[in-house]
Amino acid sequence: MRRVRRLVPLQRLRELSLVLILIIVIVIFGNQIDNYYTPRTFNRISSTVALITLVAVGQTLVLLTRNVDLSVGSMVGFTAYYLGRHLSKTEDMSPMVLAAMAMGIGGAMGLINGLLVAYGRIPAIVVTLGTMAIYRGALVRYSDSKSVATRELPPWIKDLPQETLYKFGEYELRALPGIALGAVIIFFFILLYSSFGRRLYAIGSSPEAAHLAGIHAPRMVTLAFTLCGALSGLGGMVYLARFGTITVEAGRGLELQVVAAAVVGGVSITGGSGTVLGAMLGAILIGTLEQSLIRMQINEFWKDAVMGLCIIVAVSVDRILINQLTPWWSRTELQRMPEEPHAEV
Amino acid sequence: MTADPLLEIRNVSKQFGATKALDSVSLTLYPGEVHALLGENGAGKSTLIKIMTGIHQPDSGEILLQGHPISLHNSAQAQKHGIAAIYQEPLVFPDLNIAENIFISHQRRNPLVRWGKLYRDAEKVLAQLGVALDVRALARGLPLAAQQTVEIAKAISMDVRVLIMDEPTASLSIHEVKQLFALVRNLRKAGVAILFISHRMDEVFEIADRVTVFRDGQFVSMAPVAEVTPERAIRDMVGREIGDIFVKEPSPRGDVILSVKALSREPRFRNINFELHAGEVLGLAGLVGAGRTDVALALFGIAPAHHGHIEYLGKEVHIHSPKQATQMGMVYVPEDRRQHGLVLPMSLMANISLPSVKNYRNQFGMVQHHKEAATAEHYRQQLSIRTSSLSMPAGKLSGGNQQKVVLSKWLNTKPRLLILDEPTRGIDVGAKQEVHRLINDLAQQGLAILMISSDLPEVLAMSDRVLVMREGQQMGIFERHEATQETIMAAAIGQSVEKPVERAAEYA
Amino acid sequence: MQRSKLWARLKSWEALLFIILCVVIFVNLRLSSHYLDLNNLANIFHLSIEKSLMVLIMAFVIINGEIDLSVASIMALGATVLAERYEAGWSIAAGLALALLVGLGCGLLNGLFVAYMGIPSLIVTLAGQIGYRGAARIILEDRSVGDFPKWFTSLGQDGFIGPFPITSFLFLALFILGLVVLQYSVFGRYVYAIGNNRAAAEYAGINAKQVKVTLFMLSGLIAALAGACYAARLGNVRANAAEGFELDVITIVLLGGVSIFGGTGTMLGVGLSLLVVLNLRNGMSLSNVDGNTQTSVVGSLLILSVLIPNWMQRLQRLLSHLFAKNPKLFNRGGAAEPKSPVSVHQ
Repeated sequence: MRRVRRLVPLQRLRELSLVLILIIVIVIFGNQIDNYYTPRTFNRISSTVALITLVAVGQTLVLLTRNVDLSVGSMVGFTAYYLGRHLSKTEDMSPMVLAAMAMGIGGAMGLINGLLVAYGRIPAIVVTLGTMAIYRGALVRYSDSKSVATRELPPWIKDLPQETLYKFGEYELRALPGIALGAVIIFFFILLYSSFGRRLYAIGSSPEAAHLAGIHAPRMVTLAFTLCGALSGLGGMVYLARFGTITVEAGRGLELQVVAAAVVGGVSITGGSGTVLGAMLGAILIGTLEQSLIRMQINEFWKDAVMGLCIIVAVSVDRILINQLTPWWSRTELQRMPEEPHAEV
Repeated sequence: MTADPLLEIRNVSKQFGATKALDSVSLTLYPGEVHALLGENGAGKSTLIKIMTGIHQPDSGEILLQGHPISLHNSAQAQKHGIAAIYQEPLVFPDLNIAENIFISHQRRNPLVRWGKLYRDAEKVLAQLGVALDVRALARGLPLAAQQTVEIAKAISMDVRVLIMDEPTASLSIHEVKQLFALVRNLRKAGVAILFISHRMDEVFEIADRVTVFRDGQFVSMAPVAEVTPERAIRDMVGREIGDIFVKEPSPRGDVILSVKALSREPRFRNINFELHAGEVLGLAGLVGAGRTDVALALFGIAPAHHGHIEYLGKEVHIHSPKQATQMGMVYVPEDRRQHGLVLPMSLMANISLPSVKNYRNQFGMVQHHKEAATAEHYRQQLSIRTSSLSMPAGKLSGGNQQKVVLSKWLNTKPRLLILDEPTRGIDVGAKQEVHRLINDLAQQGLAILMISSDLPEVLAMSDRVLVMREGQQMGIFERHEATQETIMAAAIGQSVEKPVERAAEYA
Repeated sequence: MQRSKLWARLKSWEALLFIILCVVIFVNLRLSSHYLDLNNLANIFHLSIEKSLMVLIMAFVIINGEIDLSVASIMALGATVLAERYEAGWSIAAGLALALLVGLGCGLLNGLFVAYMGIPSLIVTLAGQIGYRGAARIILEDRSVGDFPKWFTSLGQDGFIGPFPITSFLFLALFILGLVVLQYSVFGRYVYAIGNNRAAAEYAGINAKQVKVTLFMLSGLIAALAGACYAARLGNVRANAAEGFELDVITIVLLGGVSIFGGTGTMLGVGLSLLVVLNLRNGMSLSNVDGNTQTSVVGSLLILSVLIPNWMQRLQRLLSHLFAKNPKLFNRGGAAEPKSPVSVHQ
C-alpha cells in the first residue's frame, strides 16, 4: 500500500477514480441502451465533448490562479461568427491560418480580461460578467443580428468534423476531438513541466508564499486569461465547424458547462489544484451522461437534473474524501521522522 | 572574527503607527558566525527580520552587504543578495510537492522543470539535513516539523550567505534539533552568517558565538557567548522600565467562577489546571506559541478542548460555540482586534451593540438606534473613547480606542468572566493606563478576569496570580508576592522552574 | 463637520448613481417623446418585475458574502410547479403554495451545502442552476402550459392603479420591507457583520451558518414568487423560462455598490441601480437598440463602476506620495494578487 501511495500522486488518484466512474456509467448505459457500444455512440459523444474540453482546458488555467472566466461562451460565439463571416467572404484560406486567427481574436479578448483583473484589480467574476455581455454585444453589432449559414462556408470546414485523424478498428479519432485532445496534451505538459505552469499552481495555492518567493502574480494571471481566451477562440472554430450555422446566440451558456466540467474533473475553484486531464475527464463524464440520457428516450428531460446532481455529488464527495485522504496519503510518506513534532524536549 | 563584516545593519528605525518597532538598532554579522538574537515578544526581532528580507523598508538607517549599502524592496532582491529567512510559521505551497517547494525560487532561471533532476536535487538537499522526506508528496497536510525542514532546505538550496532562523526549533523534536544544529555548524564552516533567534536558552548557548539582546525595539547588549550567562541574558531581556505603570489594587476574592481541570487539546496544550475567583485577575504568561491563546479559545468554545473538565459557577459545562459561552456570561477579548474583535467597516455604535443587538429591538423587531446610541454614549464617557462621532467606522479609530470598543461591546453583555488576550498590545501609553485602570475597576466590581499578556510589567502589575505556560504545558502558578520578571521569564523559557522563588532571589 | 458630512454624502455611490439616473432620464426624454407616457413608465417595471424581485434578495445574499446563481432556475421551477399543478386540477392558491414551498426547499438545499459542507456558493448554486432547471424540464418536458384563469393573469397584466399592475406594488412593498430589514433589523445587522468579517461575527456569538441558510431559503422563496409573477404576466409557462436572468440580477446588485466580497452596499443603492438599468434599457428599446447591446452597455457600466473608483484611489495615493516626496513612489505597482471572490470568504 505504501508503494502505491508513493507511486500514485493524489491528483492521479482523483483522475483514476474519475475513469472508474466513467467506466461504471458506460456499463450501466450499455445495459440499458441497445446498440450502445458502437462507433456511432463514440463519435457522437466525442464530438460533443470536444468543444467543452477545449474551453475547459483554458478555464482550468484561470481557475488554478483563483480566478474564474465567465466570458468564455461569448468569446466562443464571437470568434465563431467572425471566422464564419470571414470564410464566407474569402475564397481560400488554409486551416492553419484560420486557427491562428481564431486564437488571435480569442487571445485579444482574453488579454483584456486579464489586464482588467490583474492590473485593474477588479474581481474576476465582475470583469468577466461584464465582458461576457460586452463581447456578446460586440458580436451583435458586428453581425448586425444576421447569422452565418452553413451554405456560405467553404466545404473543407464543413467536412472538418467528419475528418478522421486516426483509425483504430471501427473507432475513429476525428478532427475536432483531435484538436481538443491535442490541447489537453500540450497543456498537460505545460502545466507539468514548464515553470510557467508550476507558478500558476503556486499563485493559486498560496498567494502570500508566492509573493515571498518573488513570483510576479499579475503577469501570470494575465497570461492565464489570455491563453484561456485563445483556447476559447479555437473553440469558436470548432463550434463553427460543428454547427455551421452561427447566430448571435452562439455559445451562450457554455461558460457554465465548462466550469462544471472543470469542477467535476477535480479542479479547485479556490485555486492551486487540478489538472487539464481531470478537466477533460469531467467533460467526458458530463458529455457521456448527456448524450446517453438523450438516447434513453424516456429520460430525455432528466438530463439537466442528473447533471446538477452529478456536479454537487462530485464536489461534495471530492471535498469529503480528498480532504480526509490528503493528510493520510502524504503523512505516511514521512520517513525517519518518527517522533511527534511536539514531543517533550 | 578577523574577517570583514558580511552584513551590517546601521541605526535602523521603523515605526508602525504609534508604535516604534525598531529604534535605531545596529547589528553586525560576520561570515561563519552564529549570532543569537534574544528579546521578549515585541522586542523588535520580527521587524528586523522583515527589514532584512525586504518585506518592510526601514524608515531610516542602512544595510550594508560586504561594505556596500544595499536597498531591499522585496524578498526576491534579498534572495538575490543571498539573504534568506526561515520563519516561525513555515509558509509553504500546500498544493505543490516538497521538491517544488524547495526549489520554487529557482524557477525563474529555467523555464522547464526536469522532474527527475528536481527530485534528486531535493533529496540531496534533504540528505544534507539528515532527513529523508518523500519529495514527491504534496506539502498539504505535512506536520509542522516537516514543513520547517522544507523551509530550511529551501534556504540552503539558494546558496545563502546570510541565513535568518526565526525560532526554527520551536516545533522540532530533540532528534531533529540535533540534526538542525549539525547542519547549522556545517553552514557556519562554509562561511554563512546565521542570525539565530530562539527562546530556548540552552540552544542559544549550545550553538551561538555571539549574543545580542533587544528590548522594546532598542539594542541593549551584545557580547561573545562566553561572557554571557543565562541570568544576565534574562535580565537584559526583561529589564524593562516599570515606569508609572498602573498597579492593581487588592480586591476581595469572591467565589470560584471558573474551575479548569486537566484541560487538554493536543498538540496545543495539555493538563491545564486552575481556579478563577470573582474579583480576581489571573495572569496567563508565557512566550508566543506557548498555547495561552489556545486555552482561551477552548474556554470560549471556538476550538473546544478534547479532554478535561470545565466547571463554571459550580456546574460542569461543555462549551462548543462562542454563542453558548457568551450566553453563559463568559466573554473573550481577542488578541487580533482587526480580525476577530471588530467588524472594521461598521460603526463604533454597531460594534458595541453587536453581541446584544437583540436587546435593542422595538415591538416591530427593528433596532432602535437611539437606544444603541445611548449605550455607545455611555461607554464612550465611561471608557473615554475618543471619537468625533458614534457612527465612525471602527476601523478608523486608533488601536487604544478600538480596544475600548471591544471591551465596551462585551461589558454591555454583563459578563461574569472576562478573558483578555493581550489587552494592551499595540496601543499607546495613555490608553494602556486607562485599560489597566478599567481592568482594576472591573475586578473591584467582582468580575473574574483571565488576562493573557506577553508584557511582563503588565502581568506583574495587574495580576493577583500568574499562571505560566511553556510549549503547551502549565509551568506553575505564582502568587503575587512570588512573581518577578525573572521568575516568570525563567519559567516561560524553561529555566529551573522547580524552585523559582529561590533562584529569583539569587539573581536579584 | 456639517460640510464634511454633506461632502461625504455627495461623494457616495448612491449620489453617483442618482446623477447617472438623471442623465439617463434626460437622454431618454430627448430621444423619445413616448418615454413619459404613463404606459411606458409602467412598462419599465412591469416587463422586468421578476428580475426586480430577485434583485432584492440577491442584494442580501451578496452582502452576506455569497452568491446565488440558481435564482432563475428556481424561478422557472416555481412557475412550472404552479402551472403543472393548476393543469392537474389544483387551485391557483394551492399551486402557488406548493411552488413557494419548492422554492424554499431548493434554497434550503443550497444553504445546507454552502454553510454546513463548506462548498463555495458559486459551485453549489451553479449545480443548483442546472439541476433545478432540470427538475422543471422533468415536470413540463417541452410543453408550454397556460390557460390560467382570467383573474390570475389580470393580476400580472392589468393595471391596478393606473396602468401599474398589482405586482408592481408587490415589488414596492418588498423593496421597502427589504430596505427596513437590511438597514434596521437585527437580521440585517447580522448579514452585514458576517459579510464584512465572518470570524469577528462568530466571535461575537452570531451563528453565521444559520444566517446563511436562512438567506438562501429566502432567495429560493422570492425566486419562486417571481416565478408566479412570471406565470401571471405571460399567461403561460415553459421550462426554459428566465434563462440567463441570474446574471442580469447579479449585475444590477453589483452596480448598486454592493461588493462582490460582501459587507458593503445599501438597499437604496441597489434600488437606484435597478432604476438606472431599467431606464437605460427602456430608453435603448425605445431607440430600437437590441437586447444584447443593451446588456453589453450595462456590462461596461459594471466594469467601469469598479475600475474608476480603483483608479481614483490609486491616483489619490500617487498624488499624496508625490507631495510627500516619498522615494518609494515607483515600487508600489502590481504587488497585490487578485483573488477570486469565492475564496475570500473562507
